[in-house]
Amino acid sequence: MDVTPPKNLKELFTGFLAIGARSFGGVMPWAHRTMVEERRWLTQADFAETIGLCQFLPGPNIGNASIVLGKRWFGVSGSVVAFLGLMALPFIWVMALGILYLEWASNPVVRAVVTGVGATGAGLFIGTALKLGRAIVNKPAALVLVAACFLTVGVGRVSMLVVLPIAAVIGIFFARRGWL
Amino acid sequence: MILLDLALTFGVLSLVAFGGMPAVMPEMQRLVVDVKGWTNSAQFIQLFAIAQAAPGPNVLIVSLIGWKAAGFWGSIVALLAVCAPAAVLAWWVADLWERFKESPWRIAIQRAIAPLVVGLILSGGYVLCTPAAGPDWRLWAIAAASCAAYLTLTINPLWILAVGGTLGAFLL
Repeated sequence: MDVTPPKNLKELFTGFLAIGARSFGGVMPWAHRTMVEERRWLTQADFAETIGLCQFLPGPNIGNASIVLGKRWFGVSGSVVAFLGLMALPFIWVMALGILYLEWASNPVVRAVVTGVGATGAGLFIGTALKLGRAIVNKPAALVLVAACFLTVGVGRVSMLVVLPIAAVIGIFFARRGWL
Repeated sequence: MILLDLALTFGVLSLVAFGGMPAVMPEMQRLVVDVKGWTNSAQFIQLFAIAQAAPGPNVLIVSLIGWKAAGFWGSIVALLAVCAPAAVLAWWVADLWERFKESPWRIAIQRAIAPLVVGLILSGGYVLCTPAAGPDWRLWAIAAASCAAYLTLTINPLWILAVGGTLGAFLL
């Protein structure tokens, strides 16, 4: 399959705008559809590799992807344009929904529906964690780390800024011994 | 200066958000609700719901929090603060990534982070369903149903959110 990177900043902007505008229910599938299938900016393998990098780095994954791809094609201005294109419309959607919600927040039914959606989102998080966990479920050292993070950060409300460095050092120690 | 406070709070979150926004959700809730008091735990789950239901990156929950704390400019500052530090890091690391592809340290770090991300995302789900007053079984029932649907069905998660909202109307 032939791939052609975006020819100019305008094309880059409209591409990321299209991703942000349509990404109901998660951005990644739409990023794939727009950049790999519709506009053919990059190959499937290249896309997977780039997303892999962005999942490894801290920060919002798709935000990082816009920075990395924008830089690859047009340097700093590409990063800025791709990021703004990605965020522009979703920012407006979210703020509009937020304002609408605050108008109606005193209505108990509206509050119940929105809280129900929130609990559903929490369930999606747990489902995501279980999916990710399948890859490490037969490694006892990994399960110890999962449990330790959950008990300290989740149940114990200890700051992640304390837990993460300690857990990372222990994790790297485990990994170097081949336990992870 | 509340804008500066927003910038610093979310700027730090940006750099520890390994595994993306879901992994940093428990820390965000702790900072925003317990430490800064920009919103309460009942409202936090609602702001989270709006960011989940709207199209776009789920990172936009920070704009809603920023807006609650400091109006329009708060929403802009919070979004830029949570993205910029990570973006600068990504900008620098993008080229190094290829070079360190086979490095044993890179592989060790990647393997070490994987279980931490799982534990942190689980914590995010737990914290969202545990308001200040204590665990609420109705929130847990909805979350459990949603998790089961997510793992067994291949549909757009938006449908699951819609059903969850309907359940909320009857249960909550």
